Amino acid sequence: MGERIYRYAVATRASHWLWVIAFAALVSSGLQIFNAAPFLDASDLTNPAHRVLEIGSPSDGVGTTTVFGHTFTTTGWLGWGDDGMGGRSGRAFPGWITIPAYQDLADGRRWHLFFAWIALICGLAWLISTAIKGNLRDMILRPSDLPKLWPMQAYYLKLRKDPPAHGIYNPLQKAAYTTVLFVLAPLIVLTGLALSPGIDAIAHPLTWLFGGRQFARLWHFIAMLLLIGFFLIHTFQVLTQGVVNQMNAMITGWYRLGKHDGVGP
Amino acid sequence: MKRRLFLASSISSALAACSPIGTALNNNAGFHNLLGAAQGLNHAIIGTHGLAKEYRERDVSAVFPIDSLPTPTDSTYATLVRDDFRNYKLVVDGAVERRSVFPIARLEQMCNTTQITRHDCVEGWSVVAKWSGIRLGSILDLVQPRSDARYAVFHCMDRDDQGMPYYESLDLHQAHHPQAILAMRMNDQPIAPDHGAPVRLKVPTQLGYKSAKWIRRIEVVGSYANLYGGGGGYWEDQGYEWYAGI
Repeated sequence: MGERIYRYAVATRASHWLWVIAFAALVSSGLQIFNAAPFLDASDLTNPAHRVLEIGSPSDGVGTTTVFGHTFTTTGWLGWGDDGMGGRSGRAFPGWITIPAYQDLADGRRWHLFFAWIALICGLAWLISTAIKGNLRDMILRPSDLPKLWPMQAYYLKLRKDPPAHGIYNPLQKAAYTTVLFVLAPLIVLTGLALSPGIDAIAHPLTWLFGGRQFARLWHFIAMLLLIGFFLIHTFQVLTQGVVNQMNAMITGWYRLGKHDGVGP
Repeated sequence: MKRRLFLASSISSALAACSPIGTALNNNAGFHNLLGAAQGLNHAIIGTHGLAKEYRERDVSAVFPIDSLPTPTDSTYATLVRDDFRNYKLVVDGAVERRSVFPIARLEQMCNTTQITRHDCVEGWSVVAKWSGIRLGSILDLVQPRSDARYAVFHCMDRDDQGMPYYESLDLHQAHHPQAILAMRMNDQPIAPDHGAPVRLKVPTQLGYKSAKWIRRIEVVGSYANLYGGGGGYWEDQGYEWYAGI
């Protein structure tokens, strides 16, 4: 049994779980909002000639998803499925994945705009407290980590017996956290802001930066997909890398060091 | 391995429970009101400032979707259309010093502004059109809102299938926004009946439902709480935000 260390401060644990709730609420209400205009265009204005994604129901009982002009039948999953009220209907994302389950754009927006504040405040509070304590630098990928990325991946793939020497977070963790903190989080916040009430009128350059109004919707959606990708990998890693220890650490703060865990940066 | 399976299935269950839990919370009046608090926060922090982006002639969309309540079909509107709106009058009254009735000829003389702006529907789509008309502020200046006046309420001629009339409201600050106009021409033509003829609102700094069509009367009020559903607008009464900035 390894040594137990106090790894996660209260602020980190609280914001982590609050973020889990906010992320779930934002994704489900965001899909609800998407359903009201189930297409994404790489242009400022709505423009079918620049359509990247469209989910539709060409006829009763059939759902289709069109990506870059290629149409797939996705009946039961996308375009046609659960209406959230016990029946089935033409709907981009099905009721079991949206909040509310039934189609209701007004309430979807209510949830989204509320939890956007929760996620933002929670994220900023965590970022500031972590930066002040100096723990943020443990999570940031540095040039010296780059040569260790493949050896770390090789270890996960069981092609290598030991991981490369590393600090509290291994090089792949750092790469993931750095991407989420400095690419995906700013992308989803800024594109969300560009679409938020009253912002475009006072900050045209923000909307322009993302290619316009509809393009901002597209970037916002892409950022969501990538964050879901992070969530899936993150959850898989927690499940496979000592799940009880990991969960315990994110609840109580105390983490039992494994033989490969580093303690310094 | 058992632990992992247990946790994996717990996580899957938690994910599957999001929508039912969210839906149940959504139907809880207290939680629903709490969610609505974000609107007040946004209104207080962001407010209504700045100008909507102005576009060029060549940006005007070929198609402008008609996505409102149905075009009125009652005999009053049919008569107005038949007479080419020559007998249309806009009533502006309520908490004003000078209640006024503007015949259409007078409104046409007052046209003083043109804009090419984007229309963003709450559903998520965006189109551009050119609008000409009268600054709402110049109408309000003529009727002189009293000191207790806070909102301009727009009473419209269209109704839903239950017979509920459409209406909207802006506070007087929003109504004096330089781009808030009573539009009479769209893309250099008189506005077509389906787009809200003869007079509609165009407020490009707010979501499309604020730009009410088929306006018959502007009522200046101190509060909209006693009008219709009390939300300050047809869609607001169905749960959409009153503060609908873009």
